[in-house]
Amino acid sequence: MNDPAATPGPSRSLEEVYKPITRRTFLKGAAASLVGMAGLMAALRPLLELERGEITLEQLLQKHYRELTPEELNRILRRLEEETERQHGVRPHIRDIRPMPGVEFAYALNLTRCIGCRKCAHACLRENNQSREDADDIEMSYIRVLELQKGAINLETSNVYYDPERVPQPDKYYMPVQCQQCRQSPCTKVCPVQATWQEPDGIVVVDYNWCIGCRYCMAACPYDARRFNYKKPTIPPEAINPNQSYLSNRIRPKGVVEKCTFCLHRTREGKYPACLEVCPTGARVFGNLLDPDSEISYILRNKRVYILKEEVGTLPRFYYFFEK
Amino acid sequence: MRAVLQWCSAVLAVVMVPVLGLRGGASGGTAPVAPGTAAGGQNTTVAAFPVELPVVEKPPAQQPPVGLPGDAHLDKTPPRATRGLDLVKLGWTYNCMECHKLLPARWHYDRPMVEHQDIRLEHGNNRFCLNCHHPTNRNAFVDYDGSEIPEPDVVLLCAKCHGTIYRDWKAGVHGRRNGYWDTRRGPQTQLRCIQCHDPHRPAFAPMKPLPPLRYPPRAAGSPERTRTARNLHRP
Repeated sequence: MNDPAATPGPSRSLEEVYKPITRRTFLKGAAASLVGMAGLMAALRPLLELERGEITLEQLLQKHYRELTPEELNRILRRLEEETERQHGVRPHIRDIRPMPGVEFAYALNLTRCIGCRKCAHACLRENNQSREDADDIEMSYIRVLELQKGAINLETSNVYYDPERVPQPDKYYMPVQCQQCRQSPCTKVCPVQATWQEPDGIVVVDYNWCIGCRYCMAACPYDARRFNYKKPTIPPEAINPNQSYLSNRIRPKGVVEKCTFCLHRTREGKYPACLEVCPTGARVFGNLLDPDSEISYILRNKRVYILKEEVGTLPRFYYFFEK
Repeated sequence: MRAVLQWCSAVLAVVMVPVLGLRGGASGGTAPVAPGTAAGGQNTTVAAFPVELPVVEKPPAQQPPVGLPGDAHLDKTPPRATRGLDLVKLGWTYNCMECHKLLPARWHYDRPMVEHQDIRLEHGNNRFCLNCHHPTNRNAFVDYDGSEIPEPDVVLLCAKCHGTIYRDWKAGVHGRRNGYWDTRRGPQTQLRCIQCHDPHRPAFAPMKPLPPLRYPPRAAGSPERTRTARNLHRP
C-alpha cells in the first residue's frame, strides 16, 4: 500500500541519473581497454610464436613436470639438448635425477670461518650456467655474501658490494645467503601455477617450462634467494657446464625465475654442492639430515646453530653457527 | 780441541758467506732485517725472506688431490701455498735427513739459522723446532712419549694440543671434505691440517676477494648513481 517507488526522494538532475559519458570517463575506459588488449595479446603471444615457428606445438602443450610420463620426459630432455646445442653451441647432457629415498638435505655454515672471499658465489655461476657475460648483465649467482659489522647481526646495514684489498677486514664478518630450502616455503605457496614446489628431499625446485614469470615467489621470499631471467642468458660455449639436469642447472629460457637447488644434479648423485667444494676455509657443511652419522647431524647435536629470520616462521634447512 | 773447533767454525763461515750473499742478491740487493719472532725476548734478528717467490709444487704424495677430477671447472685450491725455490725439479726430495743426519738436534736454536729462513714461527707457545719435529728423525714428528709420528699422520701431532678441533675434524665439521658426501657412491677426500694451515704460522693470511656481483647500473640505489647524486649536491 505504501509503494517505495512512489515516495518522492531527493530530486536529482538528469546528468546524475543517466551519467552521460564525459571526456574523463571516456579516456579512462579507453585506457583500461588498451591495457586489457595488451594483456590479451601478451597472453596469446605463444600462439603467435607457434605460428611463426619459434616454438613447436609439443612445447606449447608440454605438461607439468610432475605429470610427465618417463617417455615424454625423455623426449623433452632430448629436445632441450638439441635446443641448447642450436642456441649455445654446446651439446649438454641433460638428465632427470630423482630424489634419493631416506635423504633430506640440510646445510650449515660456520660464520667464524667464513672470510668473505666470494669463491662460493663465483663457483655457483660456473656450476649452474647463469647468465654472466654481458657488461649490462646482472650477475645471477644464487649466493650473496653479506658484509656485516661485528657485534650484531644487523642485515639492514649489511653490504653486498664490498670490495676491499684484503678480506677478512678486522671489524667485519661475512654471511653468505642463498636459498634456505624452507620447510614452510612462502615461495611455493604463492605460485599461481604451481611451477615451484618442494621435493621429498627438501629441495625447492622450479619447472622452468611451466613458470610464467610473474615473480610472486621473488616477492614472497624473505631471503632474496630467487633470480629472474630478464633476458636470454649469455654464456660463452666454453664456460657451459655440460652436466645438466632438468630441474636445476640447464640453461634457463628468458622470463623465468630460478634459484639455488643445492646443486641437485650433484647432491642427488652423492656429491657435494659446488659452493662447498671451493670453500677455502671449510666453513660450509652439507649432508643428510636423516643420517645420524652425517656431518650435519653432528652439528645439530653439538653446536649452537641459529636460523636466519626465525620470526617469519619459514623453518629453513640452512643453519648458521659460530665455532672456532 | 778448542782451537780445532774455532777453526772449523771459521771455515764454515767462509763457506756460508757466498750462500748468504746469494740470498741477499735474490731479494733485491738490500736484505731487510725484521725483528726476531721466534726467540722470545732474546735480541736476535732474522733476515726477511724474499716474499715474491713462485708457488712450489710438492710431490704428489704430500699433496693428495682435492675433490674429484671431473670438477675441473671449480677452483679447489687449499689456502696454503708453499712458496720457495722450485727444488723438486733439481732433484730435491724433501727428505730432511739428507742434511739433518749431519746436523745434530738441539733444543734451543740461536736464530738466525742458515737454512729455513723463510720460516716465521708464530704458533703460540711453540718456540722451538723440536716442539713438533722429532729429534732424531726429522721426517717424522714427536709424540708425547718421544716416539715418532710419521708425516702422513700429522693430524695426530696437531691433536696433541687441539683436541676439540681434532674431534670436529674427525666428524667432518672442521676443515674441508670434498668429493662424495655419500661415501657408498664414491670417494671422499679430507684435507689434513697442514694442507690449509701453515704449521709455523697457523692463522690464515687475508686474501683478495673475488669481484662483487655487478649491480644493475641504472637501478635505484646503484653505487654509481648514488655517487653522482652526492656530487650534484656538493658545491
